[in-house]
Amino acid sequence: MRATVYAVRLRTGWRARFTVDWDTDEGFWLDAAYRAGIAEGWGMPAMDLAQAGGAIVRLKRLLPLGEAEAGCRQVQAMLNGERGLEAGEVQALLLRLFDDLAEGRGKYAKRSGWRFGRLKGRGANKANEANELSNGAEEGCEILRASVSREGRGMGAAAAKLQAMRVRALLPLMEGRSLLQAEAAAMLADRAPGIAPGAGLPGLLQLGALLGALRLGAAVAPGAPPRARRLRCRRCGSGEAALRRTACASCGSAACAVCEACLALGRSRACGLLVRGPAPAASPLGATAAAAGPSAADVCARWGLSRAQRAASEQAVRFLRAGREPGLAVERAAPGRAGAAEGLEPATLRRQVSPRGHVPAVLPQHWVDNVRALLRLGYGRLHRRQRSDDDAIALETPHGDPLAIRPRSFLLWAVTGAGKTEMIFPLLDAVLSAGGRALLATPRRDVVLELAPRLAKAFPGRSIAVLYGGSGDRWQQADLTLATTHQLVRFGQAFDLVLIDELDAFPYHGDPMLHYAAAAARKPDGATVLLSATPPSAMRRAVRFGRLPCAKVPVRYHRHPLPVPHVLVMAPLKRWSGGASNHAKNVRGLNNRIADKQAATLYARIESSLARGAQVFIFVPYIKQIEALVALFRRQAQRWGISATCIDGTSSQDDGRRDKVTAFRERELRLLVTTTILERGVTVPRSDVFILDAHAKLFDEAALVQMAGRAGRSADDPDGRVYFCAAYRTLALTGAIRQVTAMNRLARKGGYLVERSHGGRRIRLSGVRNDKFNPGRRGGGR
Amino acid sequence: MLLNRLCGACRTRIPWIWAPMCPVCGRPGRCVDCLRRKLTYFKGARCAVQYRDEMRDWLADYKYRGAERYTGVMAAMLSCAMEQLRNDFGGAFDLITAVPLAPGRLEERGFNQAERMAAAMAAWYGIPYRPLLKRTRDTEKQSGKARQGRIADMRGLFAPADDIPAARSLSGPRRILIADDIYTTGSTMNDCARAILQAMPGAEVYGIAWSRT
Repeated sequence: MRATVYAVRLRTGWRARFTVDWDTDEGFWLDAAYRAGIAEGWGMPAMDLAQAGGAIVRLKRLLPLGEAEAGCRQVQAMLNGERGLEAGEVQALLLRLFDDLAEGRGKYAKRSGWRFGRLKGRGANKANEANELSNGAEEGCEILRASVSREGRGMGAAAAKLQAMRVRALLPLMEGRSLLQAEAAAMLADRAPGIAPGAGLPGLLQLGALLGALRLGAAVAPGAPPRARRLRCRRCGSGEAALRRTACASCGSAACAVCEACLALGRSRACGLLVRGPAPAASPLGATAAAAGPSAADVCARWGLSRAQRAASEQAVRFLRAGREPGLAVERAAPGRAGAAEGLEPATLRRQVSPRGHVPAVLPQHWVDNVRALLRLGYGRLHRRQRSDDDAIALETPHGDPLAIRPRSFLLWAVTGAGKTEMIFPLLDAVLSAGGRALLATPRRDVVLELAPRLAKAFPGRSIAVLYGGSGDRWQQADLTLATTHQLVRFGQAFDLVLIDELDAFPYHGDPMLHYAAAAARKPDGATVLLSATPPSAMRRAVRFGRLPCAKVPVRYHRHPLPVPHVLVMAPLKRWSGGASNHAKNVRGLNNRIADKQAATLYARIESSLARGAQVFIFVPYIKQIEALVALFRRQAQRWGISATCIDGTSSQDDGRRDKVTAFRERELRLLVTTTILERGVTVPRSDVFILDAHAKLFDEAALVQMAGRAGRSADDPDGRVYFCAAYRTLALTGAIRQVTAMNRLARKGGYLVERSHGGRRIRLSGVRNDKFNPGRRGGGR
Repeated sequence: MLLNRLCGACRTRIPWIWAPMCPVCGRPGRCVDCLRRKLTYFKGARCAVQYRDEMRDWLADYKYRGAERYTGVMAAMLSCAMEQLRNDFGGAFDLITAVPLAPGRLEERGFNQAERMAAAMAAWYGIPYRPLLKRTRDTEKQSGKARQGRIADMRGLFAPADDIPAARSLSGPRRILIADDIYTTGSTMNDCARAILQAMPGAEVYGIAWSRT
């Protein structure tokens, strides 16, 4: 869309603005009756509305929205501190600047003219010239005086009042939102059909912006100052690499940038309008909650957590409440004042400094301050960033760069099967009871659907919005929002707590867009809690150096150690899975026979697993390998004493996946060949895990740990078996084993493990002990 | 070839029209629309693919979601229709034009998919592109409408664009090509052809469309 640029003189000086609906602005500044109507509808004396103190200089030419906004910023930079400027001078400035811009545009126009000119032939060029001539009347500036009566030009007072009341009705819907124009229209049509203005939407939004309640801007715009020359999508944060420039019929620009990264969620483009709700109030977490709320231990006690879970949850809740306070304390900087006087448990304060808890409980306050400064926890900074609202209609700067705000993050590092979901509840409770808004983002839709009823039961009386592609709650404003990760782009500065589940899982993994969206959805002073069993190495490093507070849950809910993977060295799959046919055997000769021998070892282990009554997961790196393997294993089924129909494979491209997983869980299937698609979120009691080609590049450390985490999840069979079948050891492979053993060690040290007899390995399956098979050299009993 | 950029799975899924049967519109089967039509203003039309579910998704991505990066691939597919048309009706065309969008929709969408494809064809085949048509009124979206409704809707919907000089109609080009994305009953194509003939009597009008329902 296109926008008008103008400069208006306020009491504080000249202000450059752009508008998507000039009539609204004209009425707002110049039409007394219109202003009176607005003031009445808005509930504010007309005198308190921002007032034009003199002339308005308007550029006649409509500019593409992105250009208009960027240009406005430049003009404003020049106008700052120039209070005495005359209208004529401002006009000259505007003309100079936007003619520059127009020349820049002219470059594109020339280029496209050349392209289309060639296509269109001579006649078209003539038409172009004619067009340019007619445009000539639209060039230049116009100076409008407030004193000139505008009666009858704009809307009447009654219409204005109605419009202002509509804006008021709109505000609660827009809170914490960041929507494209089309989305805003859809939201209004859905949530407030009474005020849905149809074609008048820009006018309504523009009035909201004039009243300082909404923030309008281009959806794709130049980045924050160090990168101000490059464009960036304000919705998903994608940079130039994801932007495509095309000729655009809606703004007339020949090179209008469109973001292709978030295209699936609507088109974000340089001339597209992005509407954001009012700037958020300060987060209700913090001082009040810390002072008035129940203690962290009390919050966590209600939820029936295990000891390890509770310890970590308490730490996280303290983080949520306490994080802000030390910052204030630093700013107030009263040396010698005791920590206790700051309305906060001093122990909490210190635990923040060292997440590992090595700092003794009692320390001199100044020493703590020094350490904090040393660690650069950066707590004070948020407060210095708080917006100054000296002008009711300050230019819409707070679009800002969400990544520039240092995140207040906490990592909850819980092993697979630790019961992360249960640990979320106390955190949500802490935020909701303080009156804040919370978001739980998970990568999977089925997790969202499964969690929704549980959360509704746990927090009766709180509104809950459940968001996923095609969900009905799409525009609902709720205390607690449960969403798949992509839905986050529709929020802006909305939540006091953003909980990100499985942050290393597929959609986040390697997608900066979602990280940006998660950062943008959080209030500037809100907190992020990250949940993971396998945090990426950068994050682990941050934890090690104390940059990221963290709580670890090293033990599963059943308090048995994680099964430690055994490594079986064997030839890669490509050698032996195809080698089942006689033909291939002859061709490949010796290599093949070796491979078959190793395969026999594998078969023996699978047989023993099946014999002890376990469900067998077989993970392979590629989908194409599944079919061949299923056929191969089915031939072995007789020997293993199960029917061939008990063996199946599934992958992301399998429509019957859900049924197969259910069948596997109910033991109708005994052996399931699959890819990393089932690496997370699947709990099958009494299962053993075989990872074939564990050396494959596709299996990184996190994937290996996650897959290994499928074994031994139930309390009645806590030590499942895990085998990494690899041609050679990779860093990821050894790293995964190290992670598992380290967690076990931590659990033992923390005293979280149940006492158990060391008399060999016991399999608790209807009294049958597994001693048919002797695993041989490596990887047998522990 | 742009189509080589597609992955194998997508490429094999394209339901090409290999053997057009209807001599007029090239539908690969019995075509009642061409039989029923009383006045056919265009000489012939060809379509590249059948409008099946995958194709509908592709077109929806392109048109409604605005995935403009599809332009190249779509145009490459359209060029198959172009080849068929050249085979059946002979080579040189003097002008190519596109079915226009309603102005409101054009502003909302930001681009006219038919025009983008036509422009690519123009570049590849060296035929000058010119917008010759305009819409006289807005209609509802054509998708999701019964046959009769579409035909009634289309009548007199298009008119020659204002800036076609009247003088050019006499000495002007003879063989004109209209590009569109979907050919359903042929009523759009027919009305466009009528409008062009109105401005340039004596011209021969042909049509290409990306898909045929």
